[in-house]
Amino acid sequence: MNKLLIVGLALASCSPAYAAETPITGNVQTRCLITTDTNGVFGNPLPSKLSTTAADGGVVPVVRYDVTLADAYLAKVTTPTSFSTSPSLTDNVTWTGSTTVTNTTDVGMAGYEAAKVTYGSTTQYDLTVAGSTWFSSEASAVYGVNKSFPGGSYTAIVLAECIAK
Amino acid sequence: MRKLIAVALLAIYATSAHSEYLYGISGNMAGAGHTWGMSGIGPGNTRGLRINGVFYQYTPVKNTEDDMVVHVRNKRVGGGYIFSETDDWSGLPGGIPITKGFIIDNLPIELWGDGSIDVEGTGSVIDANVVYSYKYNNDCLTPMSDPSCPGYTDAVLGMMGNIDVATYDPMGDKNITDVLSEKADLEEDAEQDEEKEDSDRLEKILSSVDDSVLSANVISQNLLMFAMTNIATMNTYYDKKLAGGVYKETVVLDGGNLPDNKKGARAGLAQQILHTKMVGMQYEPKE
Repeated sequence: MNKLLIVGLALASCSPAYAAETPITGNVQTRCLITTDTNGVFGNPLPSKLSTTAADGGVVPVVRYDVTLADAYLAKVTTPTSFSTSPSLTDNVTWTGSTTVTNTTDVGMAGYEAAKVTYGSTTQYDLTVAGSTWFSSEASAVYGVNKSFPGGSYTAIVLAECIAK
Repeated sequence: MRKLIAVALLAIYATSAHSEYLYGISGNMAGAGHTWGMSGIGPGNTRGLRINGVFYQYTPVKNTEDDMVVHVRNKRVGGGYIFSETDDWSGLPGGIPITKGFIIDNLPIELWGDGSIDVEGTGSVIDANVVYSYKYNNDCLTPMSDPSCPGYTDAVLGMMGNIDVATYDPMGDKNITDVLSEKADLEEDAEQDEEKEDSDRLEKILSSVDDSVLSANVISQNLLMFAMTNIATMNTYYDKKLAGGVYKETVVLDGGNLPDNKKGARAGLAQQILHTKMVGMQYEPKE
């Protein structure tokens, strides 16, 4: 009986087991920031053509990449291949576009243009230098074969991405 | 007197001035060439203008294989450079503009010498744009704001215009010296006169006091009598009472028909004819 009592007291005196969860928090600061520097505007030099070039009465859109970490990101800029909003179109639209470096903040970015890779409507740059780089994307759309665009508002999107290497 | 007013106004004007920093940006200092002076930065007459930023942009023109170094810099007054940035384009392609901005630690404009864009090697620079941002005190925008402002003396003299600012010697003024000499002679006489004048003045004052008290008594008695008379006069009206009751209409129109008074009309017309005739008579020629 005494043994039983001792075992019971010993069990009762044991502290209960606890589980603890310690959180780990962190914050990743963006080191690649994309900003729209200039909104594009379509000019309408011909009834069948919409273009962002200044010669056609348009405004070339400009995006700026601010990179604080060198050689860590790729810049991908894709010119539009369709209208995001437009009147109803019954014929094909032929798109052309190109992206170029138009301003930099570091001498080391002078080689970006020569080293760019273009596939489809996308142009890719290797951001090897920390700093800001401005990219301009020209785009033009031709409707059918000398067919007039119907009246209305037209919007197209230039997609700018920053891809970690 | 005019001098005193001018000085007082200037003192008030100076104390009302307040100090605060204003900020601005210069134009393109490299617009007219690749060297420039710093004297045109900021509004004139500013005090404590300090440069707090430099921004430049240019497009290098060169072949990739060529060596080219571009210096953008400002000389420091007294020697050396207060700002200097070098871009080494050697082995790099040209054609793409470069933009750079620098924060400067509020260095006084007095330290900034001429600026320049210098190219070493093969190549050139086009579309150069150099801009300075600055801050300054606004308390010397008008030179008279503070005696320590540049041009303060000239501004004060200009404002005073034709006032003779030569030193004024009161002892050289004949009017003043005459008055002073006369004053010395008359000093004793003046003392005697003053004693007599004092006694006369006292008598006059006492006499005036007596007159005033007498006048006040008369006026107050008159007012009292006037008030008492009013009470007696008005009470006769207060005591009157109107007889009450209703005053009924006593005239009755018999039959409700009121015919025209032809007799009255005739009399009226006859009077009118007579009146017209009398009026017309004054225009008839006299015989």
